[in-house]
Amino acid sequence: MALLYLTLGTLFGFVLSRSGAADYNYIQAMFLFTSVQLYGIIGTAVAITAPGLWLIKRYGRTVSGRPIVVPLKPKHRGNAIGGALFGIGWSMCGMCPGPIFVNIGEGKIYAIAALAGALAGAGLFGAVYTRVQSVFRLPRLVVGTGRT
Amino acid sequence: MPLILHGLTPIHWAAAGASIALITLALLFLTNRRLGISTGFEDVCSFVVPVSYFARDAVRSARKWRLPFIAGLIIGGFLSAVLAGGWTPTWDLGMFDQAIGFGHAGKLAWMFAGGLFIGFGTRLADGCTSGHGIFGLSNFELSSLVTTISFMAAGIATTQLVYRVLFRV
Repeated sequence: MALLYLTLGTLFGFVLSRSGAADYNYIQAMFLFTSVQLYGIIGTAVAITAPGLWLIKRYGRTVSGRPIVVPLKPKHRGNAIGGALFGIGWSMCGMCPGPIFVNIGEGKIYAIAALAGALAGAGLFGAVYTRVQSVFRLPRLVVGTGRT
Repeated sequence: MPLILHGLTPIHWAAAGASIALITLALLFLTNRRLGISTGFEDVCSFVVPVSYFARDAVRSARKWRLPFIAGLIIGGFLSAVLAGGWTPTWDLGMFDQAIGFGHAGKLAWMFAGGLFIGFGTRLADGCTSGHGIFGLSNFELSSLVTTISFMAAGIATTQLVYRVLFRV
């Protein structure tokens, strides 16, 4: 299975690399409204994923017959505030999380600093989670139930 | 506009979007996984930061797929560079170099600061462009719509501020 994930990740990384989604100039051009490339990519991806997802959920099983489980993302105040913080970072780095890894693979040296920052930011969030939990109405942590 | 990587012409947005959709659907149909990259930061943190947030069942159970998937992203970028004319470490950052500069140390500091926003923000929002923007929107989730509008608006505001006000191109 690990090989399948590795293969799908490689394909995904290659497409991000060659499409402009992992390119600093194209990210800025999207936010400056001087290129339709990224809007076209995200729009097309959603326009095809949405009906495909509906069909797979309707079919209800994976290719090997296991029931499809789509975990939903919780809705809370963190969506808006966290999204805004992420948007600032996406603009500054010209990379969202996937392209950080893609840029490292391409040999962009500064992308390593972006990854270090992202890991530090995620680590910081984990460390303050219980303190900001009520402010943002974040869900309770599920730890050690043995369920996976 | 050429890519920074070897000055390549990018593939058409429709082909890129369709490929991303097929990979997303394959991930679900073949392996029962919901596409999402930024949760992978948690998997890495879970090895070194001993707090309950990173000990969640949801984190521990997902390592076995997220870590190889992320490794694939790095390999995908590497192969892309190799096939395009060779892999060479580079500092090239396109219009950042022309308008802002800052040198190598400044660039690293800028990237680290931006990374902090990405790491903290995506965890607070529970997802990024892939999990909320592509999968969540396709699944008609309200939290994804809110998050996507929010990160697009903040990205537009930040880039407009940086390149139209602070450092004019």
